[in-house]
Amino acid sequence: MTELDAATRDALAELLLTVADDEFIIGFWDSEWTGIAPMLEEDVATSSIAQDEIGHARALYDLLAEVTGDDADRIAYGREPDAYRHAALLNHARGDWAFSVARRYLYETADGVRLEALARSAHEPLAQLAAKMRREETYHLLHADAWLRRLSDGGTDVRERLADAFRRLWPDAQQVFAPLAGEEALQAAGILPEPMAALHAAWVTRVRPALEPIAGPLVEAAPSAEGRTARTDDFRWLHGEFTMVARGDEVAALW
Amino acid sequence: MSTTDRVWEVFRQEDEGDPMVHAGNVNAPDEELAMHYAREFYGRRGESHRLWIVARDAVTELDDPDLLKPPFDRSHKKPGGYIIKHKLEAAKQRAASEAGE
Repeated sequence: MTELDAATRDALAELLLTVADDEFIIGFWDSEWTGIAPMLEEDVATSSIAQDEIGHARALYDLLAEVTGDDADRIAYGREPDAYRHAALLNHARGDWAFSVARRYLYETADGVRLEALARSAHEPLAQLAAKMRREETYHLLHADAWLRRLSDGGTDVRERLADAFRRLWPDAQQVFAPLAGEEALQAAGILPEPMAALHAAWVTRVRPALEPIAGPLVEAAPSAEGRTARTDDFRWLHGEFTMVARGDEVAALW
Repeated sequence: MSTTDRVWEVFRQEDEGDPMVHAGNVNAPDEELAMHYAREFYGRRGESHRLWIVARDAVTELDDPDLLKPPFDRSHKKPGGYIIKHKLEAAKQRAASEAGE
């Protein structure tokens, strides 16, 4: 591949960081179910899927580190909370099982649309990684979809919890497709084959008919420029958890 | 959940052509989740080429000792049931003496 100019390289770095942070943070939130999922088998399945997502993040951080000459571990664990670029959807704490299922469903469907596009990227290493990730994400989506159908048939209380979670998460879910600062450069280079706005429209067309029978009419919501920068106390807590070991010296001082 | 759980027996094949071997079992409310859980328990490390997931209540079990461990001597139904070692030796000796004539 030809040498990228500085603006395109920065834009590629931003794209990789957003996808990596999404995978990393959903992986950590879902790993919060380890030991307390509804049944033993589901505990293993949820934990394994969470681990898969962190594995995807690892591969993406490696790719990013090659582009920027940085170190994957430092990128993953060495930033302050405000420097993370995951979508607002992943700012919320784990919640109850229905909430986690609703979020996984929203994320997996959005991620699926995004990966389908990235698999056609002109940046060959990214296209290859996206194609590999899709093979695993297909199974993740089947799992989330299986639970969505079970909970929506699971009686009034369960269905209401699921509907509440969808209504609450819907605006923040749009932010998976928040516009990127360097999007025009990425499109010009063929790195991002379609604009985020087009991916967003494709996703909404796909999920709205599946969700409205459960959650009722969903508000019109759009991706926003702040969709990946606003951080919450929930996330600040999680950040403290997942950086604890990396901040080894600090922890050692407590012992 | 547990009130509706069923047990599913899982068989795995390591490589194409290998025999399906009983791997263990999982609890799941239905076939769809049984498939997911079987994959997580017996396939997530790349150790399986194929899995069979069978509801335990679909398995026909036979454990009647009258049929499986009959009370009479059945040694004649086994390959080792006929002791032919001494017959073989006698035949060899006969063959040797005939050749010597």
